[in-house]
Amino acid sequence: MKNLYFYLFCFLSLFIYLSCKKDAVPTNPGWTYDPTPYTVEYPDNFPIMVFDEDNPMTVEGVELGRMLYYDTLLHPNGDMACASCHDQSLSFASFPTVLPHVNLGWNTTFLWNGKVSGNIEDIMLFEVDDFFKTDLTKFNNHETYPKLFYEAFETEEITSVHASRALAQFLRTVISSDSRYDKIITSGSGVFPTEEELNGYDIFFTERGDCFHCHGGILFSDNLFHNNGLDAEPSANGLSEITGDPLDLGKYKTPTLRNIALTAPYMHDGRFQTLEEVVDFYSDGVQPSATIDPLMKQAHNGGINLTEEEKDDLVAFLKTLTDTTFTNNPAFSNPF
Amino acid sequence: MKKHTFLKISIFAFILFSVLSCKKDEDNGPGSITIQLDHTVKGDPVEIENIKYTCQAGHTFSVVNLKYYLSEIELHAKDGSSISVVDVHLRDIHDLSTEQYTVEDIPDGDYNSISFIFGLDETTNVDGGLENTIENINMEWPIPGDQGYHYMKFEGRYDSLGTGVIRNFNIHTGATMGNQNYFEVSMPFSEAAVRSNSWTINVSMDLNEWLQNPNTYDFDGMEMIMMNQAAQELLKANGASVFSIASVRKN
Ligand code: HEC
Ligand code: HEC
Repeated sequence: MKNLYFYLFCFLSLFIYLSCKKDAVPTNPGWTYDPTPYTVEYPDNFPIMVFDEDNPMTVEGVELGRMLYYDTLLHPNGDMACASCHDQSLSFASFPTVLPHVNLGWNTTFLWNGKVSGNIEDIMLFEVDDFFKTDLTKFNNHETYPKLFYEAFETEEITSVHASRALAQFLRTVISSDSRYDKIITSGSGVFPTEEELNGYDIFFTERGDCFHCHGGILFSDNLFHNNGLDAEPSANGLSEITGDPLDLGKYKTPTLRNIALTAPYMHDGRFQTLEEVVDFYSDGVQPSATIDPLMKQAHNGGINLTEEEKDDLVAFLKTLTDTTFTNNPAFSNPF
Repeated sequence: MKKHTFLKISIFAFILFSVLSCKKDEDNGPGSITIQLDHTVKGDPVEIENIKYTCQAGHTFSVVNLKYYLSEIELHAKDGSSISVVDVHLRDIHDLSTEQYTVEDIPDGDYNSISFIFGLDETTNVDGGLENTIENINMEWPIPGDQGYHYMKFEGRYDSLGTGVIRNFNIHTGATMGNQNYFEVSMPFSEAAVRSNSWTINVSMDLNEWLQNPNTYDFDGMEMIMMNQAAQELLKANGASVFSIASVRKN
């Protein structure tokens, strides 16, 4: 019996020792873990941002994420960074099919076909592990990164989880809320729409154009998947590729229309070069099919049949969604 | 040795106490009522995406999406007392987590009716009237001059009078051009005698009833109804018969 107590005592002591060990000083003197909490600021008319409990936002985490975003070290061959394809001046898009990075902190579904769903931490882990296949030993052996990771995450071993959490923190701050449109709808801003823009607004937000049912709300996306009638034979590389469900043929994630004038060409395959071509499509080029979204209310008429003037008005409205405060924001730019 | 006896007694007492306190929760705690929201077409459970139902106007149709708000849900007891169940509930036929709503701490009593508002009343149905969640923002009713949220989005496809031409329909209801189109529903049911136990009340919406009784709703020509008060009026009248109590049961 006595022996039993002795072992129990030893075991408990060891346990307590091990659990305390975490708090011990780092092996490298001069490293400290004392992060400054970071508050993400956004206007009241935006949705409530949901954060990841396991990834509290800190100044150190956001800054580290920004470095990783621009650093080619993240790529195993070292020939590209995230920013190589996601260019700030183009709303973090670039060549055909690249999705922009704008207000991703509110996204719940990612990539055109919805391959990843969840929060921004989930898509970042996918980008690091599956897309880039980042070699973390390069970071662990690096001159400066180990200290920066320690300061942000209190870790002495950098893993892809840490890298993705830092990237997620940075991208949660990449918010567009200062477009011409945002100013127009803010009373007292002194910014008023032109008559064209106002007519375009009416087309967009009434059933005349009925764009708002999918591209609605302040984010200009519903975060859902739709077949908007691009093809009579809907393609199979959209949501159906992930779900295997033929009812999902031709469905893609609704892209945000924020900064849409900067992200040509358009659609998942980049088939339209200009916003005029996109509007022509919604006006007269809509192709009914078995999975076309019910919200394409005028599909049986080939679309919403706009006049030339209405088309110009709608394009003028779409251009009010450009946010140059965002594309020029020094906090999002290359830190190196 | 004495010490061990004390230890044993303590452990025994602790276990006994734990068991007793668990037991208490089951038998003597306050009751709960779960409201379950189900959907049928002509009495049968909805089969999504199947163009197989025939409406009074003569079209065969399918159900693709369905979302709606119920608000101010209350339960009423025989003795005249009422309890509030939930202020606003958004039901989405594709989201199982919205199927049931459970209220804990229901006082003992003989509950025999439920009432709610279909949609949102004028105090809630204003821009920003609901919490800014993605789900609520997706229900916004942004028509210039109007305010608030869709009460319902009931969307599907139909075969126009059997011609084989498939079209879309969208029954989007809400307040428009100064008209509040919400309505109150009150339904009696066979008694739920809550005695510190849990009950489920199954409320059912029959989608076909939106399309008939008293008015025939014809999808043709109704592509755009958000600013069409006559259509909203017609649907509101049909709405009186869409809800029923499918069952009341002790869990
Ligand atoms: C070679 C070009 C390229 C590079 C480099 C690149 N991306 Fe992308 N990114 C794309 C393309 C193309 C898409 C759209 C792909 C799709 O949906 O199938 C995309 C989509 C995304 C999305 C989804 C956005 C949404 O709205 O769903 C995220 C997030 C993203 N990238 C993050 C990153 C991060 C983080 C990095 C760096 C680790 C990175 N990307 C590097 C080309 C690139
Ligand atoms: C049924 C939902 C729905 C409606 C209604 C709708 N869209 Fe879209 N929109 C989408 C989807 C989904 C895509 C992506 C489709 C793809 O790439 O296959 C898209 C793509 C776009 C794009 C290209 C975005 C990009 O980044 O490439 C623009 C621009 C656009 N829509 C504008 C509009 C306008 C203007 C209207 C109203 C006339 C409208 N949409 C109505 C769902 C919709």
